[in-house]
Amino acid sequence: MSLRSLAWRLALWVLAGAALVFVASGYLLFHLVGKQLLQQAQRESAALASQGSSLVQLRLNDITNTTRVLAAVIEPRPRNAASLIHDALADNADLAGLAAAFVPGSTAAQEAGQSPFVDRQSDGTLAHRDLFKDPQPYWNATWFQQGLVCNQGCWHPVFWSQSRHRLLVSYSAPMQADDNTIGVVNADVTLDWLQGVLLSMHLPAGTHAFVMDQQGRYLANDAVEQVGKEAQTTLLSQLSAPSLPEYANAHRLNLQGERAWMYDQPIAGTQWKFAVVVPEELIYAQVRHAFMSVLVLGALTILLLGLIVMITIRRTLAPLGVLAERAELVARGALDFALPRVRRHDEVGRLTHAFDRMRLELAAHLEELTRVAQEQARLASELDIAQQIQTALLPGPHYLDARCQNFELFAVLKPARSVGGDLYSYFMLPNQRFCFMVGDVADKGIPAALFMARTITLAKAMASRAQSPQHLLQLINDELCRNNDSCMFVTLLCGFLDVATGYMTLASAGHDPPVLWGNQAPRWLPVTSGSALGLDEAASFPAIRVRLKPGDTLLMYTDGVTEAASKTLEQYGGERLLARLGQFHDATDGTGPRDPTKFLVEDIEAFSAGHGQSDDIALLALRWNHAGLDKGTLMLDLVFPATLEKVFDTLNLCAETLHEAGIRTDVRADVRLVLEELMVNMVHHGNLHGSERTIGLRMMIIDEAVLVELNHDGAPFDPLQFGSPTLTGDLADREDDGGLGIHLVRAMSSELNYTHDEDGNHLQLRFANPTEHGHGT
Amino acid sequence: MALNLRIDPFTPQRSTLYLEGRLDAISFGEFDKQADKVLEQMNTGSTLVLDLSALDYISSAGLRSIAKARKAMRARDGQTLLVNPQVQVRKVFDIVKAVPVNEIFQNVRELDDYLDRIQRRVLHEGEELE
Repeated sequence: MSLRSLAWRLALWVLAGAALVFVASGYLLFHLVGKQLLQQAQRESAALASQGSSLVQLRLNDITNTTRVLAAVIEPRPRNAASLIHDALADNADLAGLAAAFVPGSTAAQEAGQSPFVDRQSDGTLAHRDLFKDPQPYWNATWFQQGLVCNQGCWHPVFWSQSRHRLLVSYSAPMQADDNTIGVVNADVTLDWLQGVLLSMHLPAGTHAFVMDQQGRYLANDAVEQVGKEAQTTLLSQLSAPSLPEYANAHRLNLQGERAWMYDQPIAGTQWKFAVVVPEELIYAQVRHAFMSVLVLGALTILLLGLIVMITIRRTLAPLGVLAERAELVARGALDFALPRVRRHDEVGRLTHAFDRMRLELAAHLEELTRVAQEQARLASELDIAQQIQTALLPGPHYLDARCQNFELFAVLKPARSVGGDLYSYFMLPNQRFCFMVGDVADKGIPAALFMARTITLAKAMASRAQSPQHLLQLINDELCRNNDSCMFVTLLCGFLDVATGYMTLASAGHDPPVLWGNQAPRWLPVTSGSALGLDEAASFPAIRVRLKPGDTLLMYTDGVTEAASKTLEQYGGERLLARLGQFHDATDGTGPRDPTKFLVEDIEAFSAGHGQSDDIALLALRWNHAGLDKGTLMLDLVFPATLEKVFDTLNLCAETLHEAGIRTDVRADVRLVLEELMVNMVHHGNLHGSERTIGLRMMIIDEAVLVELNHDGAPFDPLQFGSPTLTGDLADREDDGGLGIHLVRAMSSELNYTHDEDGNHLQLRFANPTEHGHGT
Repeated sequence: MALNLRIDPFTPQRSTLYLEGRLDAISFGEFDKQADKVLEQMNTGSTLVLDLSALDYISSAGLRSIAKARKAMRARDGQTLLVNPQVQVRKVFDIVKAVPVNEIFQNVRELDDYLDRIQRRVLHEGEELE
């Protein structure tokens, strides 16, 4: 179990808390107990002193009582004194000697005839002596003099017995008869005896005890060598100092730097003192011992507590560790494992249950997730395919009119998701018309993509039938309105470009207007918009007709461009679009054309970086180069009244012009024939209401072709709508003679293209003019 | 004037019209007028020859005029023969199949040979009948 585990930390904190409590309580306890121990030690020492004092007193009482009794017994019968003291000495082993000293010359002395003295020899025998016979008269001795006067008996100072070679102390009691002292009974005890009494006390180790007389001389001392000697003056002075107030008879000593306590007790019946000296060390040793015991006990307790806590916590938290490991397994994705057995329904038990449930639900969830992921992968692959299909619906992003390089087209489609509802398309139509469009289906994603596919397919299918972009929009609209329950709709901007002349017709179904620039700064073309396709069957779409000048570029876009949002939710906007296109135009001026759609897409990506593309983006740019004009020559550009005279003047002019241009004779004749037929038709059939009509004629020569454009503001007349006339092989067989001219026109011109709009009829003609060496004549 | 017309010879049995220039929507009226004058005097079973060697150009209006002349001749059981059309004119005729191919001749000799054959056949038939 690592140090970071919960169990360790718990145990550590519990132990730390316990240790803190223990130390605090131990400290308090130690203070209280220490004080008590000290007091107890004081009391014990004082008791020891009083006990010693009592013991000595008891033993001394024997001596004094014996002596007093002897004195009382001998006084009436002085004659028996010798035998009495002899017997008394023999009986009482405590005594070292006994003497009955009579006052010399007294009646008792005379009656006794002697002052007997018996002492115990070192071999234990008793020796008898008469004090009268001593060379030094005892009656002058201090002990005798004092013994006579102390009525109650008194102890004498220590003296050295020459005869017995030892230190003795004596007690004398007067023998009194009728208030008359007749002598003294004197009892000797050796200090050795007293020493024996002292030592019989069995003092605690380390303590000292002594008995001291009134002169400060040791009568007994557990240090034997001190016996009989004077105590040190320092000790005496400390002893005579008043005892401490809290402890009776206690003195604090300082003996050569060693602190000690002394307890003294006077010995009753004497002027002696019994004293016990206890070194402070000894007293505190007990306290220290107690402290050490507590310490050891406490440490053991904590150790035991720690063990119990550790075991308990480990046992309790062990499932948590297992759960943690299992949780890591879960994190790695493994869900099949054993969980710890639940012993009881505490938090851990509930956690285990919850974990088990979580695992099961997680497994189910994972399974579900896998299924969903597979489903999503399938959807994603389908979307990929859908995207490929949608991309396949679109023509390429770059188109260069290969035949005459009159125009160049760039297109981009960037769906916000895999598939989108924006579209662009372009394709050539018969009669040199080029159809292009940009559209935006409402909504995004798959429904929009399907609707977009429908629109783009319809557009391509209908375009060949359409006379004009507005007509194409109407055709698409009719189809889209059919069964459009989901009310999907598409905005579409559609244009037809005459690739020979640069005339362009635009019609809008609810789409943003296109931008035109080149000879002027970028500006919007004011295309009046009809309603979006798919909503209103009766919708109509106004068109505008624009003549592109060389260098002009037309840009069509969807609202994904103007509504692209930046990180700050600012919109790209139309003004920015115009400004950017202006910059683009200025930058590319002279350095050759570049792709404006690529430029815009990069600019929009940079603008919306951080926000992401939220809507589909479609861009289509059409640059009108009119390379044909550069290589060829605009030879005629005439407008004249629609009369026969003017028509034939013009025909002559054309013939001359073509002749001067070196056009082959047969081609010249073809051109003349076709133009005559068409213009005569215009004169005859066009002037319906008699008002003055005009014919416009433009003729130009490009590589191996003569291009002629006829514009007539008369009644609509489509030369292509007539079928071929029935030709029998002889015109004279025919009942009516119509249709021949148109038949000739169709036969003679390489290409013929008719459109009609509000400006009238527009015919584009192309005549092949193969070079001499290519074909010969 | 874009179109010049010359009539030579002018007999009720066989007349030749020389066309020069362009027969188109502006000149066909002139042609019609001249042709009408000639046609009025043609006999039944006569031959009208249109010499196109100098005709540069013809349009549908001109075709209609020629068709009209042919109709008029047909009404007299006569025939209208075309001689020596230029490439351009021949192309127009071909496109609209204006005239039966056997009635177009490359030059005057071909025409004369053709007419001689006709002449002989008529005489021969006459002998047989007799």
